[in-house]
Amino acid sequence: MSDWTGVLELDVENRGGRTVADNIYFQGAFKVMRPVYLNGYSHPCYYLLNPGGGYLDGDTYRMKVTLAEDSRLTLTTQSSTKVYKTPVSYAYQETEFHLEKGSYLEYLPDPLIAYKDAKYVQKNVVHMERGSTLLYSDIVTPGWSPEGKEFSYDTLRLKNEIYMDDELVVFDHIKLQPARQNMGGLGFMEGYTHLGSFMVIGEQTDDDLLDSLYEIVDGMEGDFEFGISRLTIPGFTIRILADKTQLIESIVSACHLAVSEKWHQVEPSFLRKY
Amino acid sequence: MKTARSNGHSDTSGIVMTDNALTLFQLCDSQFPTGSFSHSFGMETYIQNDIVVDPETFSDWLKVYLHEQLVYADGLAAKIVYAALDEEDFDRVWEMDRLLTVQNLARESRDGTQRMGKRMLDAVDSIYDIPIISLYMERLRNKESFGHPAIVFTMLGHHLGVDRKTTVVYYLYSTIVALVQNAVRAIPIGQTAGQKVIHQFQGELKEAGDEIMKLDDYEFGVVSPGLEVSQMQHEHVGIRIFSS
Repeated sequence: MSDWTGVLELDVENRGGRTVADNIYFQGAFKVMRPVYLNGYSHPCYYLLNPGGGYLDGDTYRMKVTLAEDSRLTLTTQSSTKVYKTPVSYAYQETEFHLEKGSYLEYLPDPLIAYKDAKYVQKNVVHMERGSTLLYSDIVTPGWSPEGKEFSYDTLRLKNEIYMDDELVVFDHIKLQPARQNMGGLGFMEGYTHLGSFMVIGEQTDDDLLDSLYEIVDGMEGDFEFGISRLTIPGFTIRILADKTQLIESIVSACHLAVSEKWHQVEPSFLRKY
Repeated sequence: MKTARSNGHSDTSGIVMTDNALTLFQLCDSQFPTGSFSHSFGMETYIQNDIVVDPETFSDWLKVYLHEQLVYADGLAAKIVYAALDEEDFDRVWEMDRLLTVQNLARESRDGTQRMGKRMLDAVDSIYDIPIISLYMERLRNKESFGHPAIVFTMLGHHLGVDRKTTVVYYLYSTIVALVQNAVRAIPIGQTAGQKVIHQFQGELKEAGDEIMKLDDYEFGVVSPGLEVSQMQHEHVGIRIFSS
């Protein structure tokens, strides 16, 4: 498997309270921009640059990101990931994260847009050490189709595996196949077109946090359905069904903000000092 | 370890009722004390939202639940566990116990299933003396495993020598029957209407069994977003008669 369309490796570490890259390597169609230290944060935000032409048939992307002890990183994309028609095979992306003790990762990519006849498989594997924190969001949306059909992509398969100290603690597998499933019907997308997920794993998770997140999302305007539930380990998942990317983004942002505010009060960090 | 494996049938030859299959059938009774009467696995959310209101709409929900959740989770796991028991690959069995638990992202459904697994283990253990069942109980006591009814059921089916597909389909049947009983009470629908649904589901169960036999292990744990959201939303359903 040396013929990846794009490869990205990023290792960060904590040097005297500031997170810096220890190793950055990218090849092929995957690129990453110079980091931005947002709002004077002590941790960097890296923007991934997707290939301009989107993901094509047979494309394979691999990303490996390691956060050393007590480092913090925000990773996002510069724009949405577009998957076009894959008549022969499919487009594939795999991501592997390693979060050492006390590290903090926010992986918040822009939405995935799957166009007509697109097949896409995505696999995220996260290895966490106890005491590390993960915030991850994912939004999948159907792209425009010439016939104006709501769901014209072929298959979207999204797999997430999260390990805590080498033990599997979360397994999340979504497969959307409009030709086979009654997408608009009961149990599938319930009449909506867009699916959002926000998953948080952190030792500070408690019932108060879940209650306040429920109140926040439940009070938001707009046509959507959502569920929030605790995992077997300290953490939770929120799933959102809606018709607009912006609505899902605003729900995820509101939850992200609430989590950050609550946790940084409990644990003062460099975030608040600058 | 290898006791009473008298009736090994091939997977592909359809379902044959044998004495041992009849023995396994005891676990399909909704009176078997697993606590299944207190779990709707999200159905109650649809009832509260006036989406599941009569035998037809209940059947619609049950079909999606069977074909889009049970097939990929409990059903496929039962098939994998049966093969692992054949090969005495017990690590694979415990791996499936963990997978079944951690793939269930809705807490109430996950915890409820775990409680049912524990109760089914207790009941089976009080009737039978089966080493793998004792081992599973010990792992639960030591918090090494979670407990899942699909795995307990498969262990007994395998022990009795009931073939793999029959074991899987009987397990699905037991789940369907319990849910019909719950629908009868909760929607409510008449007992006869409930029995009609069970009768209609024979074809669905056969189809589900065929599908599971064809599925690759890679397909494990696929969940439909709507079902999952309804199972999460149940935590906030107002007046409720089920705990999931």
